[in-house]
Amino acid sequence: MRLEKHTNSLIDFSQPLSFVFNNKAYKGFKGDTLASALIANDVLYYARSFKYGRKRGIIGAGVEEPNALVSLEIGGRYTPNVKATEIMLYDGLSAVSASNPHSIDFRAMIKPLHRFMPAGFYYKTFIKQKIWSIVEDRLRSLSGFSKAPSEVDEDVYDHIFQHAEVLVIGGGVAGMSAALEILSGSKIARVILVDERENLGGEITNEFTTDKDATLWYQETKDKLQKYRDAENSRLKILTSATAYAWYDHNYIEVLQSNGTGQSMNHEGGQHARKILHKIRTKEVILATGAHERPMLFETNDLANIMLGQSVRRYLNEFNVVAGKDIVLYGNNDSIYRTAIDLSKHNINSKVIDVRVSGNESEAVLEAKNSGIEVFQGFAVLKAKGKSRVTGVEISQVEMQAKPPHWKSKWRITGDTKTLNCDLLATSGGFNPVVHLDCHCGGKTFFDEKSQSFLAQKERKNRQVCGAVNSVGFWKDAMADAKNKAQITLHSLGEENEVSPQKLTRQSHNYFNVDKFFTPIEILNKPKVFIDLQNDVTTLDVALSIREGYRSIEHIKRYTAMGFGTDQGKTGNINGIAVAAEFLDLPMSEVGTTTFRPAYTGVDFGAMAGREVGDFFDPQRFTTIHDSHVNSGAKFEVVGQWYRPWYYPKNGEDIHQAVIRECRAVRGSLGMMDASTLGKIDIQGKDAREFLSRVYTNAWMKLAPGSCRYGLMCNEKGMIIDDGVSTCINDNHFIMTTTTGGAASVYSTLEMWLQTEWSHLDVHLSSVTDQFSTVAVVGPNARKLMKKLCLDVDFESKNFKFMQWRPGTVCGVKARIMRISFSGELAYEINIEANYGRFVWDEVAREGKQWNITPYGTESMHVLRAEKGFIIVGQDTDGSMTPMDVNMNWILAKNKPFSYIGRRSFSISALNSNNRLQLVGLLTKDDQVVLPEGAHIISNKGKSIGYVTSSYYSPSLGRSIALAQLKGGLSKISETVLVKIVQEKQSLKEIPCEVSSSVFYDVNGEKVDGND
Amino acid sequence: MFSIHCPYCKEPRDQNEFSPAGEAFIARPENPEALSDEQWADYVFYRTNIKGDHWEQWVHTSGCRKYFLVKRSTISHEVLEVATLDEIDGEEVS
Repeated sequence: MRLEKHTNSLIDFSQPLSFVFNNKAYKGFKGDTLASALIANDVLYYARSFKYGRKRGIIGAGVEEPNALVSLEIGGRYTPNVKATEIMLYDGLSAVSASNPHSIDFRAMIKPLHRFMPAGFYYKTFIKQKIWSIVEDRLRSLSGFSKAPSEVDEDVYDHIFQHAEVLVIGGGVAGMSAALEILSGSKIARVILVDERENLGGEITNEFTTDKDATLWYQETKDKLQKYRDAENSRLKILTSATAYAWYDHNYIEVLQSNGTGQSMNHEGGQHARKILHKIRTKEVILATGAHERPMLFETNDLANIMLGQSVRRYLNEFNVVAGKDIVLYGNNDSIYRTAIDLSKHNINSKVIDVRVSGNESEAVLEAKNSGIEVFQGFAVLKAKGKSRVTGVEISQVEMQAKPPHWKSKWRITGDTKTLNCDLLATSGGFNPVVHLDCHCGGKTFFDEKSQSFLAQKERKNRQVCGAVNSVGFWKDAMADAKNKAQITLHSLGEENEVSPQKLTRQSHNYFNVDKFFTPIEILNKPKVFIDLQNDVTTLDVALSIREGYRSIEHIKRYTAMGFGTDQGKTGNINGIAVAAEFLDLPMSEVGTTTFRPAYTGVDFGAMAGREVGDFFDPQRFTTIHDSHVNSGAKFEVVGQWYRPWYYPKNGEDIHQAVIRECRAVRGSLGMMDASTLGKIDIQGKDAREFLSRVYTNAWMKLAPGSCRYGLMCNEKGMIIDDGVSTCINDNHFIMTTTTGGAASVYSTLEMWLQTEWSHLDVHLSSVTDQFSTVAVVGPNARKLMKKLCLDVDFESKNFKFMQWRPGTVCGVKARIMRISFSGELAYEINIEANYGRFVWDEVAREGKQWNITPYGTESMHVLRAEKGFIIVGQDTDGSMTPMDVNMNWILAKNKPFSYIGRRSFSISALNSNNRLQLVGLLTKDDQVVLPEGAHIISNKGKSIGYVTSSYYSPSLGRSIALAQLKGGLSKISETVLVKIVQEKQSLKEIPCEVSSSVFYDVNGEKVDGND
Repeated sequence: MFSIHCPYCKEPRDQNEFSPAGEAFIARPENPEALSDEQWADYVFYRTNIKGDHWEQWVHTSGCRKYFLVKRSTISHEVLEVATLDEIDGEEVS
């Protein structure tokens, strides 16, 4: 219901807005949240609860709200699980409940069974049943949450890096005062003030109805801050609708900001970000995060229109709405009286039930009594009456026991029960300082008896707490507290400011002075006393978890799911800890809190991704020849960010057909491949040779200029990490090639050895991967083509041998021509300055036509190398393979004076066991069956004894071939093993294979000279 | 995310420019062949993993590519000291 009188509210009544909720049209105003607008329209039910399907209303007014979750908008603008209390209303808004409160609900229909469904019910009942997977699916779809989005997000999101001397988190009285004090008391250049609401002020709006000073102060302070913000060379940034949700190491804080309405915005000339993720690094933090109210506990405390006291007050003062006419307020501190007084100013009657017995009346209590508000002191609410919404309360007198048995509740029910009618019940069980953020990065909490809550640890480096989070309730005290803390902050920044400590009156508002807020034990033992509304956790669930042996609050939390919801237990957790303390018979300080982890509130995945989506998801690397591949219709695969041609289909070929054609061309006449992506490291210095000898397993001291050599690189554990060919340009200059994917890590590893261990070696490394393009010309006719392309090199086999290189001019371009081969065929790799890549590639293709030169991609390359048994590091090895395991003992130098990297490990007994996985070939008995890569080889007992690492159909052999890691494989050659594969419909089949040498084709290496 | 002062670039940079490179002052044995398997394993695998102030190596991967030393509290993650490899003698520190 919207009230008539609305002098102080933040609502702009001149701007009406239309919106749709659960398919019904409503009206609200600018300044409303979705929640306040719905309360104005007397909407009562927002959700079905998670487990029991109970209809639930709204209880809070902000980030703490557990019930009113909605799905906002549809299609590409759809956002799941947003709290209605946090959505600022905009025209045309459309939302539906995350779980429809008006549907017929299976869970609600089995209401009589609910008492047999305590914590862990579903799990205990179904986990051992075969139908669990079906049950689980059903249960998940019943949960009270929105469906996941199914369409691509239409909106854009931004990241902004920010730096500050002082970051003030929380823009209420304390935060505003602290920021102003910093700005006016120093020349600090960068101050950022962050608040989760659209307007600064926090709870100050609550004071407007009764305190003229508050209104005045708010206007003045806001104006001053805005002046600072708008000044030239501004020293202040104000981020509103912005939540600081995570505090990481070294004062790095992430803040998620919605644009004003949280709505998507399309502007002329482009789209504005719907949300911005601010990544803030700050020197000092002032936490002014306030406090969340906790509800009182009683039977069926989850009925609709049972709300938090401060929320009722905020809806009244800030939004001019109230959810009932006949109101009962129940609590253990003065805030309920303040709410009652505010209601009376709007001529709304209310009754106050205060568990505290009379005597020691505070200002608020007296004022309420003088305003004629009916007050029941020393009474507790036992039960809320009503079916789905509250219609009344059962109350009874309570008595404080003089000597409570150990830590048990002091309270005992005495006297008769009486009933009061009401249509809105507002409760306040005290306030929980919002210490979450402070605990993300090492802050500890301590239990404060006075406020019955956990407070932030007193001292922390570069951090101050002030205001309600510091359990300072009265707004003028919060102001003073903030000024004091701001002065300490300035001091810590080295400012020589004058310190004039302000005194706190600590008067008038005893929000943080509550009696042990606990509820009589008789009530805790009733069913349906809900602690966590979102997860349907009751006091009896906590009792059960303790009966079943859980003692730690972390275990109780996990057993009951208390605090697991999207609200993360902001209203429920402290009550849960108190209930656990009661049943455990321990003080709350010993029970402690669960761990606070980021994020404080939900963060959109879109905001985390920012602009790094679609084409910007990962950097894309293209060779200079790329366009030519595109023109040839190549399909690409991504290898370490490089887009490499995978195969070149012709006339509608599939990959299989294309690969057969490409392989046959290479083996029969001539193929060409873009090998530019191989990592290339330029190594110079007079110790270059020595360096290569140390990092590779084989010998390099005698490699003559003009020659190339294959090298295998291991780590100190003796495991293969890379391989490639290195070329001796001259005695002081080598070029190393690495695998495409390993280039960066190899380069970094080499630098590490040079910088940390061998800084005395004269060696310099440069990554030159991008500086060269490489065109491989491969096949028996390669020499003929090279003679045609390059006139200044003698290609005769006896003069330009395998594993040699020559400088030359190819198509007029200066080139280094290496005669190396990854296919077993005669092959030359033409290295030219990168920008000539495309030109040379096209020339090679043109000149090669007479031999039907065929471009081939990585797939054919893999087949060709597998036929020859050449390994691919990372595919046939996995970081746990030694050179011995892949049958490459020949590459281990015996007599190098320096003990090269990994060598010592080769003599460790574990690496010499005969039962290690070793690389072998596998030939299926049915030669047309191609094994799937990753399939396991099984022993006759059905246990895995290895797996397939590479498997292809070999066009040259007309049969399938595979490489595999097999336990003790090298001594099992020509034995038969079984490979287990999964067929269609998940049926399993065992394929018999013969273990073979890993070299399948041209075993004696006769092809490498080609045919002249 | 840490903020690390690179001793070469001489300014604080975000952690995502750096890569950790393990415990500092673990010298490669001069004559590995002379070591027992246990001694070799100690060099290859075993690290102190201390709770407290820890000297470690970092590399400014997306910056100057230099390896350098960081003394970091493994409790608070506070960076207490940074140094180039030349500036600190491992034997003196440990």
